[in-house]
Parts: sequence; structure tokens; C-alpha cells
Amino acid sequence: MIRLALPKGRNLEPALAALRAAGLGLAGYEAGGRSLRTALPEDGVEMLSLKDWDLPLYVEHGVADCGIVGSDVLGELDGDLLVPARLAAGRCRFALIGRSAELPAAGSQVRLATKYPRTARRLVAGRSWGAEILRLSGSVELAPVLRLAELALDLVQTGRTLADNGLVEIESVAEVAPCLVVNRASFQRHRARINAWLDRLEAAGAVA
Amino acid sequence: MKVSAALPTGVAALLFESARSRRRLESRLAALVEGHGYAEAILPILDYLEPYESLLTPASRGELYRFIDRDGEQLALRADFTPMLARLLAPRLRSLRLPLRLFYRGDVVRYEESRPGRGRELYQMGVELLGMAGPAPGEPAAEAEREVLGLFLAALGEGGGPVQVVLGLAGCLDAALLAAAAAGEGHTAAELAAAVARRERSAVRRAGSVLLPIVETGLPGRPEELGPAAAARLRWLLALRDELAERFPAVSLSVDLAEFARYGRHPELAAEAGARSYYDGLVFHAYAGAAAVQVGGGGSYGSLFRALGADISAVGFSLNLDGLIEAGEAAEAGGR
Repeated sequence: MIRLALPKGRNLEPALAALRAAGLGLAGYEAGGRSLRTALPEDGVEMLSLKDWDLPLYVEHGVADCGIVGSDVLGELDGDLLVPARLAAGRCRFALIGRSAELPAAGSQVRLATKYPRTARRLVAGRSWGAEILRLSGSVELAPVLRLAELALDLVQTGRTLADNGLVEIESVAEVAPCLVVNRASFQRHRARINAWLDRLEAAGAVA
Repeated sequence: MKVSAALPTGVAALLFESARSRRRLESRLAALVEGHGYAEAILPILDYLEPYESLLTPASRGELYRFIDRDGEQLALRADFTPMLARLLAPRLRSLRLPLRLFYRGDVVRYEESRPGRGRELYQMGVELLGMAGPAPGEPAAEAEREVLGLFLAALGEGGGPVQVVLGLAGCLDAALLAAAAAGEGHTAAELAAAVARRERSAVRRAGSVLLPIVETGLPGRPEELGPAAAARLRWLLALRDELAERFPAVSLSVDLAEFARYGRHPELAAEAGARSYYDGLVFHAYAGAAAVQVGGGGSYGSLFRALGADISAVGFSLNLDGLIEAGEAAEAGGR
């Protein structure tokens, strides 16, 4: 039985679509239900429902054998996980957001609000301007709106939230994708099944 | 005055049964390795930083606890027994009778991000077999590798839990990685090595067909694809795996070259290698229970002695005793 961790948020739908493409029937699995763990004996898996930020820890520690989590979260953690596939569906982007379309002038110092401080530090390290990174846990767009920070670094999918709040996407920084992550020891034990899932995902064009 | 019982992140006090469990395992392991002719070396927890400066990679430097002593000397807490033993023995080898069989036990202290299963103080026991010659000058000391790996598997059996051991060869993918980088789409060989180690199929597929089966199965389509020297070593390793699988049926043994893709020997790859990048031949990891945290590992590291001016073979392993105990207890409790 492979224990598979699914994310609760925006990556749940692409994750379920990928698992179906990998050949899992998922009969009896209720997406968004209250159950935190569901055994699917026909598929030979047990599903865990976890928050994105907790999921890599469960997989790395071997409580789950594998899982699906955004590359945005992986970029913030030190975990030693295998990442054999990035899903084609559910992609979005990291973007620099502000009240105007201008990047800070060379040599200037600004405040940058984000849920992703490591990603932000890597980004700022390569720029001609500097930034004090303000770590927030949600509603990051409010920071530039209410002038807590000049810039925000956040995920953008359609850009509608930005437009509704009078903000603009100054620069698209990097693509973000839901990723299949696998525990190193589990890969040794379940290599044949995981490779078979990956073969089917690739044949279905569900990974890129 | 109220006294707090809190300890710094990553360290723990073992009391009562936990302390007894560790000492029991330690005694069994010491008896095992002494029974195989290994003599104990007791090493200090504190050493000068300077002798290790040229041996440190960015990864191993990042995990060191170092400071300036009151007399102005740069010191470091012991983060790894192997380089300490090597630097103490290298100048004395002429006066010692080889081969040397040594074992050690004690704490290593390494900075790690705070995560379950990854303490900053680890209690280790390990062995080193030094100076057993290969079949010809410059040839790998295959008999030393066989002896040490066999002893490693026997030691893992003392932990009591299910164990997986993954075997590989440091540097055997270097030629394939460098060729793929030279022919590919802008990835460096070190970036490709990281992609192979993380089993990133699409990045590896774009880089070339030799590496893809290694990502999927751990082995190349044919050993010859790695070049004649690496192919001969791989055939030897596969035969050794089969021999040891018969001797140790309770251990799950596999050869997976992708697991060790980042243990490159070429300068372009070695610069990006991890904290224990001194391995240059056989290399192995053990996973106990479900966790991906290694409970032990080792391999050949003659190049570490060569860097210190002594040209001898060296093979060793270390075990994380508390990880082994935890896995044994989880197995007894019927956990994953």
C-alpha cells in the first residue's frame, strides 16, 4: 500500500486529475470531504489530506510515501525529496506586484511583502535594488495597497485579484507547478509502481 | 529561582530506558566490530579548524560549529569522525603496521535546519579499514570494500528493524554527466547531477538517453555506456550485491547509481558535492523504517588520505545509533 499525500488548496484538482491519468480509479475518494485519510484498496493506496506547507515534511519523514505539492512551497524548504515530475495542469507564476508598473530604481531600498521569504531573498540578490523582506502569512496583496510595502511577491494565476485591488503585475518572475514528490526510501521500495505512474502521466501529457 | 529544563534546538537528553537502549545497542555493536578485529580509537570533540580548511565543501562548511578560542585559535566541534581520524593518522602511517582496523563512537555536532529525525547532535559508531592494498597499484581495494560493507550489514542487523541499503559508485556517472552537459541545452554537469539525484525525468530526458534509465531503474541500459572502467566496477558491484543479499537476507539491497549522482569526482562536479564528498569508490546509504533520514552510510575515501599526503586505501562506515533504535522500536510497535 502506497501512502499518498494530497494538498488541500488550489493544487487538489490538478493532483486528482494527474492521479487519474496515472491509472488510479479513486473510487470512494471524496475530494474536499472531512476525512483526513482514506484507504482505496482497489488502487492500492491510502490518501492523506494535508496542508501544502505540511505535506513535504510528511513525505520526507516517510509518513507518506509520496505527494503532490507546489514548487512554490518546495522552494522555501530544505527537504531532501525526489521530484520526478512537474504537472502540466495547475500552473501559475510568481510575480512582483505593486501599485505602479515601475521596478524600484537602481540603488534604492524598498520593503517587499511575501509568504515566500527565501524565494524573495534569492530574487532580490540578483537585482540592482535592495529590499527588506516582510514575511506575511496571507493577503499579501494588501501590503502594497495599504503601503505596508512598496512591492509584494506572490502567486498570480489570472491577475483578477490584482486588478480588483488596483494593483499591477510588474514582472513575472518564475513559473510555479504542482510537483510529484517522493520519499527517497519509498522510491527504493515502490520504484516499479511509481515508475509505472510516471510512464502513464507522460503518455497522457499530464507532466511537462 | 525557577530553572528551565529546555535544551537548544536539535539536541536531547536521554534518560532512563532511552539511555539504556542506546548503551545496549552500543555494547552489541562494539562487541561485533571488536570480534572482527577492529580496535577502538577515542577522539576529541574539539579540534583546530585549520587542518580541515582545504577539505571543506560549502555544504560541510555550512554544518560546522566553529569559534575562536580564548587564545585566538579557530576551533570547530567535531562534525565528522572520518576526516579527523584521517588527519591524525596520515602523518603517522609510516610507523604503523597496515592494514589498520579502527572503530570509534561518540557525538558529532552539525548545524541542520530543525526537522523531525534530523538532530544537531548525533551519536555515531563507525569503523575504518585503512591500508589494505588493491590487487595492483592504483586498483580499488575491492576486498576492503567487501569486508567493510559486510560488517555494515551485520551491524545494521543489531538495530532490529527493517533496513534498506542502497549501493553506488562515487564518480561513475561523471563522464555521462559531462558529455550530456556538453551536448545539451545549457545545463551544467552539476545541475544535471542534481536532476538525476532528484529523479527529474523531463530534465534528464532532454539531456540524453544514457542517463534516463539510471533515473528510472538506478542502472544504465548497459554498463558499457558508462565507459570501460566504470562498467567493470559496476559489474563487480552487482556481483557483490548478489553475494551479500544471500548472506544477509533480512536486508533489502539495491544498486542505484542515481542516488549518488552528486558524489562526483571530476572537479566540475566535486565543487557542488555534498558534505561527505570525500567518497571516491564504493558508497552506500542505509534507510531504516520508512523515514528517508539515513541511519548510516559509508564507502571508500582514499582520496582524503591522498589530499593529506598519504597514499593508502581507506574504507569505512558510520551508524546513527538513535535512528537505528527508533526504527527498531517502530518495527516492534508495528508502525510503518
